[in-house]
Amino acid sequence: MANMRSRFTRGWWFLAPGLVLMTLIVSVPLFMALRYSVHRVFLYRFDEQTFVGLANYIRAFRDPLYINALKTTVIFTLGCLALSIVLGLLVAFMLSSRHVRMRPTWIALFLVPFVVTPVVAGIAWRFFMWQQEFGVINQLLGALGGPSPYWLLERETALISAIISNSWHLTPLAILVFYSALTTIPDELYDAGKTDGAGPFQTLWYIVLPMLRPHMLFVSIILITSAFREFDMIWSLTGGGPGRATTVLSIYAYDRGIANQDMGMGNSIAFSMFIFMSVAAWIYITVYRRVLEN
Amino acid sequence: MISSGARRRLLVVLLHCLLGLWLIYSILPPVMLIAASFNSTALFRAPLDLILLRDFTLSNFGQAFTRGAFWFFFQNSVIISSAAVVITLVVCVPMAYGLSKISGRTRSAVSFAVLAMRFIPYVVLALPFFLLYVNLGLAGSRVGLLLAHLAIHIPFATWMLIGYFESVPEELEQAGIIDGCSPWNLFWNVTLPVVRPGIIALAILVFVISWNEYLFALFLAGSNAQPLTVGITRFLGGAEAGVEYGVIAAYSVLIVSPVIVFALAANRYIVSGMTAGAVKG
Repeated sequence: MANMRSRFTRGWWFLAPGLVLMTLIVSVPLFMALRYSVHRVFLYRFDEQTFVGLANYIRAFRDPLYINALKTTVIFTLGCLALSIVLGLLVAFMLSSRHVRMRPTWIALFLVPFVVTPVVAGIAWRFFMWQQEFGVINQLLGALGGPSPYWLLERETALISAIISNSWHLTPLAILVFYSALTTIPDELYDAGKTDGAGPFQTLWYIVLPMLRPHMLFVSIILITSAFREFDMIWSLTGGGPGRATTVLSIYAYDRGIANQDMGMGNSIAFSMFIFMSVAAWIYITVYRRVLEN
Repeated sequence: MISSGARRRLLVVLLHCLLGLWLIYSILPPVMLIAASFNSTALFRAPLDLILLRDFTLSNFGQAFTRGAFWFFFQNSVIISSAAVVITLVVCVPMAYGLSKISGRTRSAVSFAVLAMRFIPYVVLALPFFLLYVNLGLAGSRVGLLLAHLAIHIPFATWMLIGYFESVPEELEQAGIIDGCSPWNLFWNVTLPVVRPGIIALAILVFVISWNEYLFALFLAGSNAQPLTVGITRFLGGAEAGVEYGVIAAYSVLIVSPVIVFALAANRYIVSGMTAGAVKG
């Protein structure tokens, strides 16, 4: 009994300082965001705050630019998710083959896009990959006799370009998680598939995928949170343009809150993102528990 | 009919070719930056000309160092990133350890809160931090920017570390208790050495995240605490007019070299850090 008690207090002594700091540093701004989101308040004029209830939120949902930003964010997020998962799975599956040599070296190099500073990655893609005349992509397309579009300057292609660039940055995460999961699948399972006459794609679909379900979920939620809040890469790639074609919610919140100095509106946009993410997190945790139980 | 040995060899070659293609795709954007940084006319040159260094020069780096207040930004980046690592470790290692020692409802409540915090979009914190700092006089200070970084590091680090501490077998500490270790000794001399690789992985990831961070810096750095990521975006206006591409590339290379070197040298740790938590509830 005494031992139980001392164990309990021991844990708390280690836990308490960090818990206090974390609560302060995260909850205070979060609470302030909520508070400002229901006030009419402008940058550098904090003395004149009036409580307006949900007016900022209602204004946002009636604002075609907000709806546009929301749509763009959803497309961007789902695009990055789909692309990164599919490519990550394929590369991880190839990499996990017994016949591949020097796997640690491959992994180390595949990791590079993930650590490249997103702002810098945006610059690299903008000036050297998507650039209309001398960018790598159009040079390759040209060599194949294809068209050479102004990728980042046309409304239709800018968002697709942003999705591809950002998924370039995120795919290593999917590769690594899937790869480390694949290496835990016993060889016998593959051999069993082989004796049943399964080709690589059948093996992937019928044997590997079902086993990867929890990892798939984990990767999905990390990719969704990351893409949903993305700012840096898009900012340096397109700055939200052309027009508003790549203005995602993070950028729109900055636009309204800082650039237009409408802090009430900016905070309500940002806080609406928090609400969407909370719902996503709640779904994730519920589903994840169910998958783990099965 | 091809023999099965030949078919397998063909498959292996194909496999390596596909992986090679992916490798090229993965490193091409940074390679183009590096190539452009060593060319005198980086603008309007075919990619191959850049990679073959047809107009080799080192002057872009000279300009990057002198024109963009590079050292000032560099200093800010180094100070903020290193401080973030130290404080995150000092705060989160004991916290995660403590969490793994308490039991029942409190623990799952705190773990849940920590996990939930990871889902907060950064811009939700950045706007109120900005307002708070204007009022507190922390606007444009390194301390302010550092605090904002900690708001993302602490939940992330705690969540990662809980996994490491939970993987330490209970028997290890039981043995320590029988030997009469004090709580501090149990933590410092018994458990901590076991999770050291995890802590190194975490330290590297936290450094990389802080080094790469841009959103908070844009909102909060003012003119006194700007890190390199803000420094580079100041060039972008000029680039549109068709100048400075080589200098921008050189500047970019200087920003990403430390993290790329990290990624290649310590990739084992980064991999373990990135995949941590993949299979836990």
